[in-house]
Amino acid sequence: MRLEIAGPPHLKQKKNTSGVMLDVIIGLLPATAASLYFFGLPALILILTCTLTAVISEEIICKIRKQKSTVSDLSAAITGLLLALILPPAIRWYAAILGSIFAIVVGKHIFGGLGSNIFNPALLGRALIAGAYPAMITTYIEPGQTQAITEATPLMLQKFDGQLTALGQLFFGNVSGSIGETSAICLIIGGVYLLARRSADWRIPLSLLFGVLVISTAGYLINPDFGPPLFHLLAGGLMLGAFFMATDPATTPVTKKGRFIFGTACAALIMTLRYFSNLAEGVLFSILFMNAVVPLINRYTRPKPFGRDKK
Amino acid sequence: MLKLTEHKYPQQALKSTEFLSAQKLYLPLTQHIGKEAKVCVEKNQIVEKNQIIAESSGLISAALHAPMKAKVLDIKKYPHITLQKTETIILEALPEKESKVSSEPAQLNQASKESILEKIADKGIVGMGGAGFPTHVKLNPPKKIDTLIINGCECEPYLASDCRLMAENLIEIFKGIEVIFKLTSPRRVIFAIEDNKTEAIKNLNLVTHTKKFSFPAPEIKILKSRYPQGGEKQLIYSLTKNKISCQMLPCDSGCLVFNVATCFAVYEAFYYNRPLIKRLVTFCGDALAEPKNLWVNLGTSLRELADKKVIEFRHTPKRIIFGGPMMGVAALNLDCSILKTTGGILFLKDSPRQLKEEESACIGCAQCVDNCPINLMPLEYAKLVKNKAYTDLEDFYIKDCIECGCCSYVCPSRIPLLDYIKLGKTKLK
Repeated sequence: MRLEIAGPPHLKQKKNTSGVMLDVIIGLLPATAASLYFFGLPALILILTCTLTAVISEEIICKIRKQKSTVSDLSAAITGLLLALILPPAIRWYAAILGSIFAIVVGKHIFGGLGSNIFNPALLGRALIAGAYPAMITTYIEPGQTQAITEATPLMLQKFDGQLTALGQLFFGNVSGSIGETSAICLIIGGVYLLARRSADWRIPLSLLFGVLVISTAGYLINPDFGPPLFHLLAGGLMLGAFFMATDPATTPVTKKGRFIFGTACAALIMTLRYFSNLAEGVLFSILFMNAVVPLINRYTRPKPFGRDKK
Repeated sequence: MLKLTEHKYPQQALKSTEFLSAQKLYLPLTQHIGKEAKVCVEKNQIVEKNQIIAESSGLISAALHAPMKAKVLDIKKYPHITLQKTETIILEALPEKESKVSSEPAQLNQASKESILEKIADKGIVGMGGAGFPTHVKLNPPKKIDTLIINGCECEPYLASDCRLMAENLIEIFKGIEVIFKLTSPRRVIFAIEDNKTEAIKNLNLVTHTKKFSFPAPEIKILKSRYPQGGEKQLIYSLTKNKISCQMLPCDSGCLVFNVATCFAVYEAFYYNRPLIKRLVTFCGDALAEPKNLWVNLGTSLRELADKKVIEFRHTPKRIIFGGPMMGVAALNLDCSILKTTGGILFLKDSPRQLKEEESACIGCAQCVDNCPINLMPLEYAKLVKNKAYTDLEDFYIKDCIECGCCSYVCPSRIPLLDYIKLGKTKLK
């Protein structure tokens, strides 16, 4: 009788890393479907381009780093999909490919691969495109249009023209914007799924959304020109950012207190940028900035062990 | 705390049986926390049943007794389930005449506290829930006790011996509590049990409502089944919201916790002068033909149980675990024997898929942090141990870890966090 020897516990939960990642992909499906519905073929091409490029980059870089392929953990596919969803439909293919490669190579593997990266790779990919092709990234089109007729996003309209988009439209997603971020309802459905499956922690999305609600309500009361609170909750990349970007485990705090701080600080930064900067949107840079301070947050929110937390 | 799949049936519904006729007994001198017992017999000596064979050797130590009339075959190093090899007394049973003398039970109200304590210390009783802390030490607390907690949680999956004991021997357990009550005179008694033990709860309600004991009726607290709620400090927190750190003792908050099997042993020791020589053990798992709750003598080896077909295998076991699946220790072979702290033994025919998956990179999901009952950050221990930065481990309070294994259980990257913690702890010593 040959017996196996291993330390306890002799039980482990079913879900492994790829299970967690699969939940993220499933959570993104409603928003992906909405992007196809509103933006059609260009959205499909964009999603396929980004996802495939990300996966192939991952495979190649694993070869170069002489490590086992990590494609099957699905994290590269998520990075590609997320990047596609935060790009405008009229983006050119070479920009999308460049962004995807950058996200995987610089965003992830330069730091040591999955789990070691400091910044959210997809956001970093978009930041590169925003820097390299500033005109392309701000060219949005109306849903259903095949030709690129430049159309301002709801946040741009509100900020620069004082024009408010109907909340119903924002809720369902029939507005111009990045392909995956327009439909709030689809993102909420996916986000709730992600939280219910415990594949993301609720503390960051809830504190982020609550923070935005509080700040925008205060802002609206002070100056109605800032736009109503519901508008700020539904418009732009907020829902996608709150549920799928700010919950990326590797780039967010590991302490419970830290996650509340992270979410609240993101909210404050987002609203500051939306109110006072020259940009219409602030989600991308807020989350990237907060990513950078995560080690600091972890350090100062280290919990006291059971029984030591009281005097 | 974690909600685990319980796997309590069918063993939890099976009446206990006994096997008290093992031919050879392997009794390690260390079956408790503290100093190992001191041998007081010689090789080839004939010992009577209940005779002391190794005595308590210090303030925190416990005596050991012969479970049956036997010859001392040898005293030598022998495999032990947790300590690789340790001094062990090996006995060979001798034929014994059934003694029909039924002794009168001792009278509790006539006994002095000192005499009771002495009796319990003599009988080698230790905490039988798994920790194995000598009971007579615990029964003489340095502080006033407010709450006496009887622990019938048995929060590990599979195990059912405590539940069976409560279903079958509850009156004896209560009489044991009477003795403990007399020694510690607490203000109140709480009987804690998890909600998955229906039969025991039924019996508990019956006994508390129909029988009178010399202590006020205990408050019965039915807790939701969670792991590691049966841990002493976790249980105190669940019941009283008092948090006890690793530098404190339960009595610092006026609490004292005893496992139900320990209460039973106290009953046997006080009323009938019987030392701790046998215990109820659950044998279960998918490799067994049928699960069992067996009264067995301490020192009975698994090999003898298997050879005599007391336990039969349906499949060749691949993993044999002493204790529950969360904190239990995998046995090297069938030579290991039943100890005072062995509440159950698991025989698994195959490791589940999750245990075979390779460790992958930590993604920082912090599930280990969220599920640690002590609020530690297990992921940091793995990082520090891998980088050999052992001295930093204490900044993360590694010594507070109770080794419950929740972190390893939840980790989606299959990082054996508890293994890293244990390694880190040994490097710190």
